[in-house]
Formats: sequence, C-alpha cells, structure tokens
Amino acid sequence: MILIGENIQILSKVVSNALKEKDEKPLQELAIRQAKAGADYIDLNVGPARKDPDVMKWLAGVIQEAVNKPLSLDTTNPIAMEAGLSVCKIPPLINSASGKQESKDKMLPLAVKYNCDVVLSVLIDAGIPTDSSSRAEAIMETVAYANEIGIPNERIWVDPIMMPISVDQPQVVELFEFMKILQDICPGAKSTLGLSNLSNGAPEHLRGILNRICLVMLDRYKCFSAIVDSFDEELVKLAKGQLPDIQNLIYKAMDEEVDVSGLPKKESDIVKTVNVLMGKSLYSHSWLET
Amino acid sequence: MQLNDFFEPYKGDVKEVVIGPEGKTVKIGGEKTLPFHAFEGQVGTPVRFALEVFDAPPEGWPEHLRSSYADVLADPVAWANKCVKQFGADFICLNLASLDGENPDVKRIAENVKKIAEQITVPLVVMGIGDKDKDAKALVEIAKVCGGKNLLLGPLVKENYEEIAKAALEGGHGIIPQSPLDINLCKELNVKLTKFFPKEKMVIDPLSAAIGYGIDYSFSIMERVKQVAVIHNDEMMKAPMVANIGKDCWKTKEAKEDKTQGILWEAITAFTLVLSGANMVIMRHPESLKLVKKLIS
Repeated sequence: MILIGENIQILSKVVSNALKEKDEKPLQELAIRQAKAGADYIDLNVGPARKDPDVMKWLAGVIQEAVNKPLSLDTTNPIAMEAGLSVCKIPPLINSASGKQESKDKMLPLAVKYNCDVVLSVLIDAGIPTDSSSRAEAIMETVAYANEIGIPNERIWVDPIMMPISVDQPQVVELFEFMKILQDICPGAKSTLGLSNLSNGAPEHLRGILNRICLVMLDRYKCFSAIVDSFDEELVKLAKGQLPDIQNLIYKAMDEEVDVSGLPKKESDIVKTVNVLMGKSLYSHSWLET
Repeated sequence: MQLNDFFEPYKGDVKEVVIGPEGKTVKIGGEKTLPFHAFEGQVGTPVRFALEVFDAPPEGWPEHLRSSYADVLADPVAWANKCVKQFGADFICLNLASLDGENPDVKRIAENVKKIAEQITVPLVVMGIGDKDKDAKALVEIAKVCGGKNLLLGPLVKENYEEIAKAALEGGHGIIPQSPLDINLCKELNVKLTKFFPKEKMVIDPLSAAIGYGIDYSFSIMERVKQVAVIHNDEMMKAPMVANIGKDCWKTKEAKEDKTQGILWEAITAFTLVLSGANMVIMRHPESLKLVKKLIS
C-alpha cells in the first residue's frame, strides 16, 4: 500500500511555528525522517492558508530540496495549491478536490493544467454522505465531471472520508462497504483516506491499534493508499506486508468468529479491534477490556 | 408450516432487575425480544411507571400540574401514598430537591429518605439533582443509612460513579448509570461499572428528551441499546432502561401553558420512549400516567 506521510501538518506546533518563522530545518528534518521511515509521499498540510497562500510554494520548494519523494499538496485553498504546483519537480498529488461546486470550478482544473493526480473526496455541497450508496452516488457524479474536463480515472484518488469511530461507528462499516464496490463504479480509480481520523477522540494510547488494524483491513479491500502517521513503525511494516502473522489473524477475524478466550493479549486485542471496526461489537473507549 | 418456523430466536436478552425490600419488590426488564415483539420471544415484565415526589416543595410548577398534589406537596410520605393508592404508581421516584441549597445537610436528607422508604408500600427510586458532587455525597450517605432497603439510586455519571456504586454495593442497592445521549459512552460507563458492580442491579439512563426537544435522539439511542443487547448479545448493554421524563416535559412552554397540552406532551413522550425500549418511566402528572397506561393496555 502506498503511504502518504501526514506528519507535516499545520495543527502540529513545531510545523506551524516553523511555517510562521520560515524556518526550513525542522520541516526538512520531518520530511527526511518520514522518507526514511517508509513514506512514499510527503503530505504538506498548510490549512486554508488564506493570509499567505505563497507559503505552499515556499514549503514545497524547501521539502523537495531535502527529499526525493513526490509531494501531496494539502490545502483547500486553490490559490495556495497553484502556488505549490508551480514549483514541484516531481508531479505531486493535489490533496484534495471534492464534489463541491467551488472545488469543481477552481481546484479540479488545476489537475488538468498541471497534468497531475488528484484526490477526490466524496464530499458534496449537501455535506458528507452518510452511507455507502450515497457515497457511491456522490463520487460517480464527481468522477464523471472530472472525466469530462479531461482527468481519467487512473489519475483520481477517491477519498471516502474516514470518520472517527468514537463518534459514528456505523460510518466505518459503511466506508468498508464503499471500498468493496469502488472498482465496480469507478474502474481503475485509485483511493486514499486520512487514516488517523478513525481514532480521533479515542484514548491516546489506543489510537495506534485502531489505525493499524484498520489499515490492514482497508488493504484487503484494495484501498490503494492511506495518509498515515509515518512514525508508527508497526503500521508501516503492516502496510508493506512485513508482518504476515498479524495480517493473517486480522483476515481470519474478518472472516469468522474467533474465540478470544485463551488467546495471548496481543492477539485477543487484535480480534476485539477487528470486531469493533466491522461493527460486530459496539464501540466504547474500553473495547479491549470487555 | 407454522408461523414460528420463520423466526430465529434472538441470542441476547435484558437482565431482570429487582428493586425494593422483601415483601414489596418490583421487577423490571427480563425480556428476550424487542419492545412489543411478543410474537418473537418472551416480553419480560410489563413496563413500570413511577410518579415523582419531592423532598422539598417544588417551585415554578403550573397550576394544572400543582393542583393534583396541592394537599400533599409539603409531606413526601402523604404525597407518595397518594401516588400509589390514588394514581396507581408502581413505585415512587423521590427527587432530592432539598440538595439544591448551599451546604445541604446530607445526614438529615438521608434520614428523611429512610423514613419515606419505610412508610410507603412500593419500592423507592432516589434521584439526585444532577450536580455530580452533591449527588455523590448525598447518595453515598443514603446508601449507608438505608442499607438493605434495595433502593434504586441515580444518576451515576462518569465523574462520580465509583464512590456511589461502591456505597450502593455495600448497602445492597441498585443504581442508575446515566450517559449523555451517546451509546458509546453509555457502554463505556457500563464496562467500568461491571468490573465491580453486578449487572443485575443496574438500570441504565441513556438520557431522555421531551417531544420537540430532541426526543428523536433519545429514541434512536434507546432503540440501538435494545438491539445491541437482544440481537447482538452484547453483555455490557443488557441492563433495562429508564426514561426519566417528568422534568424535561414540564419545563417546556407547551406543557406549561395548557393543561391538556401538558398532559399529552408527557404521555406521548412516555409512550414514544416505551416503544423505543424503555422498561420503566418516571413521570410527573397523574393524568399523563393514566393516559399512557391506557394506551399500552
């Protein structure tokens, strides 16, 4: 699975300070560390960047000096997006466009102009769709529009939008359902999603296990890539298929009821987490304790 | 071929909770099917109804509510007896209104609860005022002073459940854990409680809202709690549920401005939540109680 490293993002204090001070070093270090850890793309999340759209241009320049990886330019502001696109040496990923009218008008055409891949989320003017079929309906319309203006499916990375499991567990199940049908409705399209949002609101020390197991499940549903915490070593290994025992246990728990009594804690935690992600058992912050 | 051939029995059930001391117990819950789905499985005990009594005369009630209790407002025992004998309440919910002042005397409050519990013929639910610290102090004292009376004490929230539940366990009482309209937090509290508290002594309150003021949220959550218990056999969600609706109904302007409207407001709120899975309802107006009982029978 292709991993997009999320660690350069505006909500991090280190990053927001460095962006404000135009301090290259901590940002370049973050990029180098992510590349070493196994990130295939480096996400540059500068937020809406309303005051200073050129910050993306500066940041993209600084990061590509440090690492030889494609960038994922992450902003909702088309002006900042274009500023970044204008300097990228390796074709970057536009992260992201959506089915909202404004995004169709201003963001999608940039993918044509700069001939690059684009993340296309299921978001539409009416909001985030709430089940798999309305996700399908939303994305088919947006993808059709993108095709019309000259972006083929192969350059579209569909983002089904991951919701926090602690807020809306059924949405996670709906997302899996959507992933299963994606290739039927948009043949050849790639896919990606913000994995860490899954565990937003969950106890801090348990976020990792949710993210990791969900990633393996998504991989099985042919999800092409995910935006992840590059510094979660186990997650990176799982994504690269280096932990086959864990992967097999996850697959088994997806396919059948696995009796957790008698299993070592690590394994029983995995089974319980699969059950929660699949909606077989109701989520609570102490799902591992029941 | 029989009709039953088409049914698959549900895996889960709802625990049966007994409240009240020997000789005057009432059972709650105990079903193995969804609400009113008698054709699919055992329905358990009938829905139980409590009427509210206050340990200090309530203020701000509209006349069409006050008048039903005008003669007993200052005497909780007489008030409770009227609710049971004249209005047919299955039990009494005593609201600790006297907790609401500065430095309430919890010893005196607890002694008073004991006196009331001893003088009425039905089990007693004791509800705090929703202030986590004051409730904890009072309920812990009440649990001690009223040991063996098998009261139902609430609400327990995530900030005070430990001390109240421990005291309830020692005094042999049941508890009402309350969560803020969120099924995941509801489960969370149950998981934490059942580590040391018996499941058979819990009646959960997922928080009820009145018609027009968010009842749709309450309905969906109660419906899901019941489904998770009965259909999915989730051990942590098998407690019966209470809908405590008096306060929320009678603070609406609709209930306050007109008698018929107020009674209907409370009765239909109660009935709606019974449909969604409430095993017990705490109500305020005797006419609403009569109406909802009639609807169900």
